[in-house]
Amino acid sequence: MDKLSVGDKAASSRPNRWVDPSFTDLPGESFSLSRRRKVVCANAETKRPRKRAGEAGSSGPHTSFLLKESAQRDQDEPWVDRYSPCSQAELAVHKKKIEEVENWIRVHSNTSKGGVLLLTGPSGCGKTATVQVLSLELDLRVQEWTNPSSQEPYSSSQHGEEKPLLSCQCHCQVRIKWRMNGLSCSSQLSQFSFLLRVNKYNCLKMVGDGGATDRKLILVEDFPNQFYRQPGSLHDILRRFVKTSRCPLVFIVSDSLSGDSSSRFLFPRDIQEELDISSISFNPVAPTTMMKVLTRISTLEAGKQSCGRMCVTEQTVLETLCSGSSGDIRSAINSLQFSSLPDTSLEKGLLRMKKDIHVTSLSKAVSRTNQRKKKSKLKKEQNEEQAIGGKDASLFLFRALGKILHCKRGKHEGAEAADCAPGPDLPSHLSHLHREALLVDPELVVERSHMSGEFFSLYLHQNYLDFFSEVEDVERASEYLSDADLLTSDWTSRSTMALYGSSVATRGLLHSNSQQVSVGFRPLHKPNWLLVNKKHRENSLAAQSLFRSFCLTPVSLQTELLPYLAKLTNPLRNQAQIAFIQDVGQMSLRRFPGRLKLEALTDKEPAQLERDSEEEEEGQAGVEEGLPASQPKPTTSQVLLEEEELIIEDYTSD
Amino acid sequence: MSLWVDKYRPTSLGKLDYHKTQATQLKNLVQCGDFPHLLVYGPSGAGKKTRIMCLLRELYGAGVEKLRIEHHTIVAPSKKKIEINTIASNYHLEVNPSDAGNQDRVVIQELIKTVAQSQQIQTSTQREFKVVLLTEVDRLTKDAQHALRRTMEKYMSTCRLILCSTSTSKVIDPIRSRCLAIRVPLPSTEEVCNVLTSICKKEGLLLPPELAKHITEKSGRNLRKALLMCEACRVQQYPFSADQDVPETDWEVYLRETANAIVSQQSPQRLLEVRARLYELLTHCIPPDIIMKGLVTELLSNCDGQLKTEVAQMAAYYEHRLQLGNKAIYHLEAFTAKFMAIYKKFMEDGLDAMMF
Repeated sequence: MDKLSVGDKAASSRPNRWVDPSFTDLPGESFSLSRRRKVVCANAETKRPRKRAGEAGSSGPHTSFLLKESAQRDQDEPWVDRYSPCSQAELAVHKKKIEEVENWIRVHSNTSKGGVLLLTGPSGCGKTATVQVLSLELDLRVQEWTNPSSQEPYSSSQHGEEKPLLSCQCHCQVRIKWRMNGLSCSSQLSQFSFLLRVNKYNCLKMVGDGGATDRKLILVEDFPNQFYRQPGSLHDILRRFVKTSRCPLVFIVSDSLSGDSSSRFLFPRDIQEELDISSISFNPVAPTTMMKVLTRISTLEAGKQSCGRMCVTEQTVLETLCSGSSGDIRSAINSLQFSSLPDTSLEKGLLRMKKDIHVTSLSKAVSRTNQRKKKSKLKKEQNEEQAIGGKDASLFLFRALGKILHCKRGKHEGAEAADCAPGPDLPSHLSHLHREALLVDPELVVERSHMSGEFFSLYLHQNYLDFFSEVEDVERASEYLSDADLLTSDWTSRSTMALYGSSVATRGLLHSNSQQVSVGFRPLHKPNWLLVNKKHRENSLAAQSLFRSFCLTPVSLQTELLPYLAKLTNPLRNQAQIAFIQDVGQMSLRRFPGRLKLEALTDKEPAQLERDSEEEEEGQAGVEEGLPASQPKPTTSQVLLEEEELIIEDYTSD
Repeated sequence: MSLWVDKYRPTSLGKLDYHKTQATQLKNLVQCGDFPHLLVYGPSGAGKKTRIMCLLRELYGAGVEKLRIEHHTIVAPSKKKIEINTIASNYHLEVNPSDAGNQDRVVIQELIKTVAQSQQIQTSTQREFKVVLLTEVDRLTKDAQHALRRTMEKYMSTCRLILCSTSTSKVIDPIRSRCLAIRVPLPSTEEVCNVLTSICKKEGLLLPPELAKHITEKSGRNLRKALLMCEACRVQQYPFSADQDVPETDWEVYLRETANAIVSQQSPQRLLEVRARLYELLTHCIPPDIIMKGLVTELLSNCDGQLKTEVAQMAAYYEHRLQLGNKAIYHLEAFTAKFMAIYKKFMEDGLDAMMF
């Protein structure tokens, strides 16, 4: 670690510092730029060493530091930072979860052998805060990897991220900023092995350290870009780390709804098992907890600003913020701060925009919000426009599917149901088609699931049978699915028709489920079709290339020759052919198949069909691509090479 | 040891076992050393390819039987590489353009151009044209068929085309009119029996006429299938017995069991099981349309006469959708569900009628 401090000195003495001075010159900017308090603190320290002495001496260093900081900071300091939790009680995370993480950290920091923990969850659910608070309470120093951000002119044509900077921060007392000089050719990757180094060396005891323990915890939240390209390199480092580790290592990965789930990508199941990585998944912050935090903050602020510079935020506004943030506490606090800006005209302007009516006084706005609130409680899925801090509400696939499959409808013709489904009753001969008003908007659900309509239909198709009890309903549902497929079959019109297709599929399913029995929980599965289709094509290609010498058309080859070859005792030419015939030509008749290996869909799983989808498109529609003939099984291509020059004797047998 | 099908395949027009008048006509056709483009069509297992190969041998002699597999890489205008395998001798080139999927047009044009542009070296002793044999023409896209029509005329001097398909309905008119159409019908039951008996004799086996007849019926007069079945019988049991079971392919048995499962119970759960079975069939390389056809046949044999028209009509409806659509399972399943609903209703009505 002495190396580090030397580096630190060297870095600070250099004119070209890695910290951007503009950060502290314009604190307002840090609101948008800095994601976490740490960065701000770090900057503050380099520029303003005045507070260090006071901090370091205090016994409860972190909290007091925080309080002082917050007291002296500008108004413009983001509330997220100012009111960041400093005890377990303040964390907006479920107690059980905290306990779980705490137990893990306790167990793994007490033994000399470290472990690896993976925290996942949507952004703003308190993952980082939990680790920070717990490490504070358990007296652990946190050493964190932050991706080096380059302030220097690029020395090469490479990306800025390739800049070799490593900052290893301990946020308690000792902050080490350390610039590795003369290493501009080394990659982030090699630096990331700091894991191993941190492991090895202890921190120097500083004066006024208060005898802090040398126990530490490594936190990795940013990942070097290289790892996204080659997750294998991360795994290699981890393997080495696990062998020699002496302190716990915590990875924090935010869930994302878009296709690339980085946690799955960086930490696949097999690696998790191999390296014994424990994984804890956080849920979005619950509305009640969120309300508590927001109320606390707003009352604190109000108390501080009793002169009335800030207006007290109304309970209803808080509720709106709370429901609009979809469990992201960071964004909720940010929007709270924004909405309670002293400039009331702005606020009202925003509010008015939101209400879409002319309100002059706040009270009216509030009453209006109340009404809206009631309404939205009645109709759950009413999409509430939010002027301030509205997050794009999105659904995880699991929930989106559930919304369609469970088919929630209004129970009776209440006033609010009549509101959205007016119109006369159906004539008597069509009365069997009558349904209560839907509680979900199918198009919205599909849109929020972040999937193309076709894939959503595939998922529905895989799972809908479990939710039906009558064959007649199934018949109609399956016909709607077939219709939906037909609508999107032509690739020239697919982009326009896809929406109609998904609409037909979802609404068809909803309508044809006439029984409305609540089936309770049913596990959902991923569609088999993609796999089956891929295998079908692969096998067909393999069959053709392996048995080319028989000069048969694919159909007769697959339906006549192969199955009979399986029954004959002809010596075949090579091993691959024999294996293939045993695999494809024969079918096990005894077995009454349940389902194929079903891959259960977990509730957090985002859609991950990107690659498959491409293949699918390619093979089925063939917009631009032909059959993926270039990707048969390895054995096949080998055989092809072997047989290329082979002369067939089958015809020459006179 | 090769299969009987290949081992006893006739190699000259004179040795063909059936359709002898047609064989003579073909012989006369190539007598003068030239022939027009041909479109050979007929059901699977009737002997189209055999006749074509005999014809080529008649034209070029034994050299046409020296076959080699060639691997072509063709670059489409969109810079995409298409890989396709062809079977070729010095005199002809056989290709299944539907292997290339949607890019079949490029494949056809490129391959025919390559073949047609290379002149034969010794025109005195050999024919001055080469032959390109296109199989599965009915699976060509319309695009490719139109391209083919132009190419056919352009390279008439150096290249003859033989098109081979199971039906002409999907071949566009301009192509049909440019070709001499030759239909190869299925052999009759007696002819198949004769072939089976003679081949068994050559193998030194004694085939009881009853078994031969049985095999013929089971195979649907598809000679290739009949021979494979016969060979499988030989593996199963020898000496043959007259009432021996003719082995069926696994997938046919599987499909029949699937149909039985559909008939025996109609519920969403059963449909789920059926779906799993359909998936299983698909992974074993059985094309969806064959599954559909087999399923309908089995279901029809299982259900009452009153239902048959309706079921057949539905099957046609969904088979059409299957061809148009993207994902076969939707349509297969929709058909199954529809059948279940109709069948259930029929059975319930029947039950009601019995009660009163």
